[in-house]
Amino acid sequence: MISRFFLAVFLAVLMLVVGVSSYLFLYGRQSKVAVAPTKPTAAEPTPHAFVLPGTLYITQSGALYSYSYGRFHQLTGEDGWMQPSLTPDGNLLIVHRSGFYSDVFEMNRYGRVLRQLTNNAAPRRSYDTGDNHWSFYPMMTADGRTVFMSYDQPKFGYEVDMGIWSMPTFGSITRGQLWSDQYAEIGYTGGDIQPIPVPGGVIFTKYDRNPDGSIIGQLWFTNRPGSFGKALTSPGEDCREPALSPGKNYIAMICTYGKQIANLVIAPYGGGSIGARQAVITDQMVAQPQWAPDGSGIAYLAPALPDAPFQLFFISSLAYFPPAPSPVPTPSVIPGGPQGTPAPSPSPSPAPTPAPVKAIQMTSSLGLDATSTLAWAP
Amino acid sequence: MALAAASGSLSYFLPAAYLAFQSTGQNVVVPSPSPTSLLFTPTPSPSPVVQSGAFTVLLLGSDDDSKFSGDHVLTQSMILVRVIPSTKQVIMLSIPRDLWVPLSTGGSYKIDGAYSYGGAGAAIATVQENFGVHVNYYIWVGLLGLIRVIDAIGGIDVVTSNPVLDDYYPLDINTKSPYGYSRIAVLAGPQHLDGVHALQYVRSRHNDLQSDFGRSRRQQQVLLAIRQKAKQLSPEDIPTLANAIGGEIKTNISIGQVGAMLPLAASFDNPDAIQQIVLASPYTRGGAPNGSLYGNWGLILPLVHRWFP
Repeated sequence: MISRFFLAVFLAVLMLVVGVSSYLFLYGRQSKVAVAPTKPTAAEPTPHAFVLPGTLYITQSGALYSYSYGRFHQLTGEDGWMQPSLTPDGNLLIVHRSGFYSDVFEMNRYGRVLRQLTNNAAPRRSYDTGDNHWSFYPMMTADGRTVFMSYDQPKFGYEVDMGIWSMPTFGSITRGQLWSDQYAEIGYTGGDIQPIPVPGGVIFTKYDRNPDGSIIGQLWFTNRPGSFGKALTSPGEDCREPALSPGKNYIAMICTYGKQIANLVIAPYGGGSIGARQAVITDQMVAQPQWAPDGSGIAYLAPALPDAPFQLFFISSLAYFPPAPSPVPTPSVIPGGPQGTPAPSPSPSPAPTPAPVKAIQMTSSLGLDATSTLAWAP
Repeated sequence: MALAAASGSLSYFLPAAYLAFQSTGQNVVVPSPSPTSLLFTPTPSPSPVVQSGAFTVLLLGSDDDSKFSGDHVLTQSMILVRVIPSTKQVIMLSIPRDLWVPLSTGGSYKIDGAYSYGGAGAAIATVQENFGVHVNYYIWVGLLGLIRVIDAIGGIDVVTSNPVLDDYYPLDINTKSPYGYSRIAVLAGPQHLDGVHALQYVRSRHNDLQSDFGRSRRQQQVLLAIRQKAKQLSPEDIPTLANAIGGEIKTNISIGQVGAMLPLAASFDNPDAIQQIVLASPYTRGGAPNGSLYGNWGLILPLVHRWFP
């Protein structure tokens, strides 16, 4: 009887264990598609043989992080911060986005707000949501006297397109100037965004319409306020998100060619025009390229796996500026030898093909904000 | 042992099965063609090709916030999808919600009212009668449903075509005042969208010159992104998905058919085999009652029958 009792208990426990194990086994076989991203500071630092130079400023979930020597440091709370850019004196311009409006702030490199540059909230007594404004993608000129940004003024009822505005660094937007003409063509496209001040003008992305009604992006250049400017890229390339190299002689951009792809493309830049395009990354959904301050490469955001959140990548400049091949030795004439008689040349050996340079994945489990520019300090 | 394992598995899938049975396999009564449909006799297809295993799904998307009562909602989005397994082709045709048509329930109205007057059956019958197609299945999803689906699959990657700015975006989800407005700014470029922001991207139409047509393009874009992400799902994900979606989706596709379609969806991997159609000008023109659109049926029907034989 006792043995039967123990057998029954054993079988009951076994059934319970097997049942629970089956449940847990199935639960564990779920795909990881909905796993929440890790906070940058919580992610395990990945040992890399390569460490990015300088300090990279990057945002996730509304918080600003610095990234240097392979480690992230959280500089602000998760409070709507995005799109940092460097000022000439070493601080940051950054956007603070609320539900109905966004403003530009100056912040030091430790995340302390120094001052607010715009006041885009609607007047307190206004009930019209259209009385609020957006400011995005702020950039300061090299002399530190002017701030460029995308700003949604003027507006016409439902038609809200952003324009490229400049304002004095120590002034207000009421003293600002509109550099682009977002309503010159057919409107309702989102307008002109992401300005980059360059010597002699400003580069930005203009969103415009194709004849079939679809909307495409074009890099644009204008040299004075109120002018229409000129296109730097063709409509078929559908380029956006420009970034200027430290030497201001190359531009990196994202081109989609009208498809659900996003290639990293670079081109020489000078005097308000760009040269031959060179595709650097064609097999990832690349966003927000930023040149290393020492010219050693380009950082960008992209999903590591298809349809996953965006991670930080770096591609060395060797990928797009390969070293020149070593000079081919020429046969020399042997002194005293028979002039004019070619010496037997050694059998030609093919030049070694350099291994293709691959991008380095710097993070693996984050959810970086791909609509936010990267700022990279030396 | 086997019985214990089976019971463990059953307890894993049972909640999902219960929810799934509530949402799927919906009975739909499609009324017989109304006399008015005779006015819209479809042009015979020049060479109807027999497409083995092909089927047509009508996707319906509705504002189902508290402004509306019960199931009497407008279908802000109506997309006909033709799936041809043999050639791995997908054709998506967005029907303008403002298209002025005879409804299967009688009278003429914007086509988005068909569901409001007679549910899924009326919406299907109205599309069938006016476009001369046969609809095999329908899937209806509400606002929260779209948000939950996208969140449940962990978000989607999209290259948003342009900044989508709307100063008067409906503030009608999770609010006591469904008639309020919000502002949205979905920035341009490659990005990972969660459910709320994906809904903003596909729902906003105020800041779009093409209004509903521009929105239709964005809806098709997001649908393709969802399909792409769904390829990574496994059967073990079904309980979590079903729990997340709850009753926010209705369809007449049975659970068995859903199971059969999952591997089918995963096998469609050529983006060039996906045809996207929007019935903008010259297929439609303004001037119809209540700001709606007249269809140029002489152009629409040959186009539709080319892709939806």
